[in-house]
Amino acid sequence: MAAPFSRVYRPLWRIITTSALNRGVRNVSSSRQQWSAQNVKPAGAASPWALHGAVCLQRLPAVSQDRSPIEEEFMELMHQMELERSLLSDHELRLLEDAARMSRKQEEDYDSDEEEEDYRDKEIVTAQDLEDIWEQKLKQFQPAPRSQAVDEKDVSSSERCLADSLILLVKKHVGSQKLWLLPQIQWQTGETLRQTAERALASLPGADLTATFLGNAPCGFYKYKYPKDIQKEGSVGAKVFFFKAVLPSHKHLPLEKNSFAWVKKEELQDFLKPEYLKQVRRFIMAL
Amino acid sequence: MHAVDMSQGRRGRADTSVLYIFFKFIVFSIIFFVCAILLFQVLLLQNTQALVCAVSSVQSQLLTTHMALGVLLTNRQYRSMPTHGIGKYRHLLPKALPKKKKDRVQVKQIKAATATEFGVFNVCVSGYDMTLVEHYSQYIHNLCNHLDIKVDESYALPTKSTEVMLMQEQGTKMYLDAVLKTHERIVQISEMKATLFPIFMDVVLKNQPEGVRFCVKQHSETDFQARFKTRPELEGLLAKINN
Repeated sequence: MAAPFSRVYRPLWRIITTSALNRGVRNVSSSRQQWSAQNVKPAGAASPWALHGAVCLQRLPAVSQDRSPIEEEFMELMHQMELERSLLSDHELRLLEDAARMSRKQEEDYDSDEEEEDYRDKEIVTAQDLEDIWEQKLKQFQPAPRSQAVDEKDVSSSERCLADSLILLVKKHVGSQKLWLLPQIQWQTGETLRQTAERALASLPGADLTATFLGNAPCGFYKYKYPKDIQKEGSVGAKVFFFKAVLPSHKHLPLEKNSFAWVKKEELQDFLKPEYLKQVRRFIMAL
Repeated sequence: MHAVDMSQGRRGRADTSVLYIFFKFIVFSIIFFVCAILLFQVLLLQNTQALVCAVSSVQSQLLTTHMALGVLLTNRQYRSMPTHGIGKYRHLLPKALPKKKKDRVQVKQIKAATATEFGVFNVCVSGYDMTLVEHYSQYIHNLCNHLDIKVDESYALPTKSTEVMLMQEQGTKMYLDAVLKTHERIVQISEMKATLFPIFMDVVLKNQPEGVRFCVKQHSETDFQARFKTRPELEGLLAKINN
């Protein structure tokens, strides 16, 4: 995984359909392997490409995005229209009745016997009193804050940017360099690629993350050649298959600053190499 | 005496020829009416057309022998017109059966999952705020339409009311504080490709609003039966029969 990622590879869809499906989805019936047999070498000959499974771990947004000014205006307009078109509720009707009764009581010719049929118990607790009680309760209620008290630029915290989805990146030794990548690990024989991705997630040092994988099918693919001096007969390069996983937005412990980062899609270009970024961007969706 | 022979011979005397023509006319009309009556009696028989041919050959008039059988059933007088019966289409339509009463809704066969496709599963959206829940379920349904995912059904489960009772500050009595209504909407999806599923889930999860619960469940027979009302008297009678 050194600098020259210069090889031009086949379009992504072909890669996904031919190699990914036979390798990624291990538990398929034999009939599927027959049509894929032409594209895959017989089991005995080892491929010169090393397989890696990687996980694209996303922290889902916890709050909805802020509204743009036009959206705010429109929302207010719709609220106003709804209010003007609406009918009075029971509580509001009661308020009006109480107010009318109060004003009638103040008059000179108030006849209490006529009025008090079923208003006796309602006079004890009027609608206005109920409203006051409810307002008091509302003041005691504290909604959760829309943004935690975390610096937005601190990429190691998973609490930043609650309105966006964040992706986990790790800094790894690759050959002689340290690169920012999605967590990946080498595939071992006998396991599916999804299990490889799960292992990659579990093997992250210092992180205790239990995530839900979204499916058995990989979402992306990246292929690179080893530099010339490392290339041997049996190994030309490596192929990385990405799997999507989702982390629900509960509280997480902050991770090590220099080796982990939670980044948005726009910030990916500051961390990843251009060729790698080009492939990764294809399957990451930002709202 | 045959009328034809009479018309060919004896052209000389004018007065008798007029009489003969008149006589011929009367004979023709009598024969015509008798045959018409016979025809009306023999309505749907197969040899009606043969009768028609016989009548036409006897009378040497051009009755429409090549028209459809239904023509003869009418009492329209202009059956000889070439456009007779033009515009008729009821006989071309398939027979419409009488509308029968709706049967009891049958359980649809639940498709099982294959290696590349999921079976039938339910996407349940529930929450306290009805506008959010409904809009979210509509969003999911529209997304499925856009991605060409087959949506079997989209229905709502009955609203559940939860009463929140609080203890009073002084005393042990509980009083009713609030009534919370839980609304639930279900979108039933079938035959979704396994490769499309992670993308679909990604989109739906990222757009989930606050206050709305979202879950994906496999569809089963019990889910289907849960939508129906129970019939207590029927169940009571069945229990009595079994006992």
